[in-house]
Amino acid sequence: MRRGIWIYIGGRLLQSLLVLWIITTILFFLFRQAPGSPLAAYIDTTFTEEQQQALIARFGLDKPMHIQYLTYLGNLIQGDFGDSFRYRAPVTEQIMDVLPNTLYLTLTSLFIAYIIGVVGGVFLASRRGTTVEKGGIIFTLMTRAAPQFWVGMILLAIFAFELRWLPSSGTSSPGVIYRSEIQKLTSIDFWEHMLLPTFTLALFLHGLPLLLMRSNMLEVLDQDYITMGRLAGYSERFLMLRVAARNALLPIVTALALGIGYSIGGNVIIENVFAWPGLGRMLVSAVAGSDYPLAQGAFFIIAVIIVLLNFLADVLYSVLDPRVGSSSQAQGV
Amino acid sequence: MQNKRHLKISFLVILVVLLGMSLASPAAAQVPVQEPGQPVVPITLLSDVQAADPIEFETTRLLAENMRQLGFEVEHLAQPRDVYLNFVWFNRMDWQMTAWRMVGRPERIDPDEFTFNLFHSSTAESGFNFVGYNNPEYDAIAEAQRVELDVNARRDLIFQAQEIIAEDVPYVFIAHPSLPQLVRTDIWDASTIVDQQGIGLENFWTWTGLTPLGDQRTIIAPAPSNLNAINPLFISGGDDSRITELVWDRLMRIGPDGLPQPWAAEEVTREDDLNVLVRIREGMTWHDGEPVTVEDVKFSFEAPQTGESPMYEPFVSNIADIQIVDDQTVRFVLKEPSATFEIATLSKLNLIPKHIWEPLIEELLTSEDNAESIQEDIPIGSGPYRIVDFDLTEQIILEANPDHFSPPKADGLVLRIIPNAESQLGQIQTGEINFLRNFQGDSEVLVELAESDPNIELFSSPSLGFRFFAFNERVDPFDDPALRRAIAYITPREPIINNIFKGFAVPADSFVSTAIEFWHNPNLPQYEFDFDRAREILAEAGYTWDENGRLIAPPE
Repeated sequence: MRRGIWIYIGGRLLQSLLVLWIITTILFFLFRQAPGSPLAAYIDTTFTEEQQQALIARFGLDKPMHIQYLTYLGNLIQGDFGDSFRYRAPVTEQIMDVLPNTLYLTLTSLFIAYIIGVVGGVFLASRRGTTVEKGGIIFTLMTRAAPQFWVGMILLAIFAFELRWLPSSGTSSPGVIYRSEIQKLTSIDFWEHMLLPTFTLALFLHGLPLLLMRSNMLEVLDQDYITMGRLAGYSERFLMLRVAARNALLPIVTALALGIGYSIGGNVIIENVFAWPGLGRMLVSAVAGSDYPLAQGAFFIIAVIIVLLNFLADVLYSVLDPRVGSSSQAQGV
Repeated sequence: MQNKRHLKISFLVILVVLLGMSLASPAAAQVPVQEPGQPVVPITLLSDVQAADPIEFETTRLLAENMRQLGFEVEHLAQPRDVYLNFVWFNRMDWQMTAWRMVGRPERIDPDEFTFNLFHSSTAESGFNFVGYNNPEYDAIAEAQRVELDVNARRDLIFQAQEIIAEDVPYVFIAHPSLPQLVRTDIWDASTIVDQQGIGLENFWTWTGLTPLGDQRTIIAPAPSNLNAINPLFISGGDDSRITELVWDRLMRIGPDGLPQPWAAEEVTREDDLNVLVRIREGMTWHDGEPVTVEDVKFSFEAPQTGESPMYEPFVSNIADIQIVDDQTVRFVLKEPSATFEIATLSKLNLIPKHIWEPLIEELLTSEDNAESIQEDIPIGSGPYRIVDFDLTEQIILEANPDHFSPPKADGLVLRIIPNAESQLGQIQTGEINFLRNFQGDSEVLVELAESDPNIELFSSPSLGFRFFAFNERVDPFDDPALRRAIAYITPREPIINNIFKGFAVPADSFVSTAIEFWHNPNLPQYEFDFDRAREILAEAGYTWDENGRLIAPPE
């Protein structure tokens, strides 16, 4: 049994590495499929032929494709993503500069969204068949369906431009720059700037856990052991919170892990609306500007995070639910 | 189970993406060859897609329709900008006609770059003469204006060059877009705003002369995307240059009238064709307190000659030697006479402190990197503003340098990165920003805003840049100037400017903007919209029409 879990984990780890290698390879060749010279955007019109060649050589673009690929893989294993065409600086530096902002925004939003989602899901399940439930579901579906930029702009128009309670863009007021992440996190100014984007994102994200939790609850409440519990005289409140909610929580763990992964790179819209300096915005400008090293690096980091969280979710699941992971049992033999 | 599904899904995604990529690549269709006496070959007219650039798309659609009426068979092929730009640029034999634009940059105030690079035959193979224009008479004039030191004689040459281009029509000029800009005139004194010809309000002279009316003494302006670097040896982007030109002084500056004037130089004298004597101001200091010396000046022009600053290298390549004459004077010895030395070199190079950059450059000489990869923590210049702090993805904070010989009237300047145009619009109303330019949305929104808000004023000034249609003169049928001239006559400039540009443009008739009064030739042929004239020109050149109205090429 215990050994089974380790074999399972080892297998999953190998698979994750394989997936990462495939992604890296695709990224590498995909960007080189784009028409034109990759450096065209960065070669000034006043350059002489010699200078153009020097620039091309500097980024290793004069070598054959397979050599470039092997060099790229070799550097990647050592944690070196190369230099950005546009910023002429290491990709790692560029990404590390904005990654914290993305993490603060997404993790806070997810945290809020999942608390609201889980509590709301249990609440709606307990009000099954009432107008409250119907209203709640309609509201949730609306937040899920409304375009993020639209919600963001409406919130901006109300709270930033009309009421003028909150700042509208960036992570700091004009003239304020945080010298460290700690200084940033302990500054009230930063949290004021966080409020609107976090709220917009949480509003969008809370729908999934809420609807998932509600339907899981309803499913669990139909189980025989709940009926048994009722007959045995346990209170409805006890059955709801202690028994049903616990069991319904399991799929939420997977959803959360995947949710974190997908929102790391998926906040382009919110980052643009609120001028939030994050990874999504950097990614889009890197792709638009044919800055391959930067785009590849950013995509790779996002892929690592998604694959890693996927892996963690599977492992966590196998711990939470022992039936997963022991393959003979999982297949029901 | 789940894992396998993930694998399968990712492979599927890869497949779809690769398939999409292969479909999206532009078709490298061969340009058809014209047979004499046969219908004129079908034309593929390239432009950007409607969503990305509605102005270009609509203008192209209009012209394509008019060309059809004249008897051409035209396909308007709209593609994403990168795609058709790259295609035209790198496949010089494979396209026929395209919409295009040149953007205005401060250094383009001098007509040399456009005059030489756009049409000189030496740049046809891989340079800016992508249309393949080849005219020995023009080449001679373009070369002569480079070495003509008498400014009026040079102007005559530039006028002649414009006339030849207007006659030969390698381009159909459409318009110089105007730059609508909003300013909070309750915070800043509108009379201290300088409209630099062809550049607009947001320029060096405005940033240094702008005078506050009340308590807010720091200018807050937006930039639409992240800055790339703040580096005096790297031309890294338009918004980046807005910062570098304030932090680093130059020996000369391009004035509001478009002509160079002494700045850190007290006086610039031409001793003869090859020797330029420069006397620098006394008492200048770097932001770290060190004095600015002639050694620093000499070093600033020598550093790019090491090859470590490739973007500035072309501007110093004509310098043979720099001699220190005395404590305040240096002499530039040129390799060849150059009319543009003041504007292209003395007004261009940033003065950099030798005590900071000399060790850096030395280190770079033995490394693969060049000066473009260097980012100082707090960059040191000697300019009217100095850097307090910056985050390239968020904001750049400058404060006035009180020790400067021309200190700014404002206390500071903050450039905020705000990618969302709608948000910029909201922020100028709340006063979070004081300026707004390069608005990507409908210009009429700005007009309405300025009309409804007494604190906001709208300014509009024509740009140096221009939009045009380009003909590939290497291939059929546009190697025939008559055909190009006829198309110039059926380009409806006025409706395009009124309806498509919503009035935010002025008609263009040359590669020199009408905004640059000194260099623009006012007597060029105008090609007023005239369908009959277009038919006449074609008929004179031997073209005929068949019974379906199709244009037939002249017989042998």
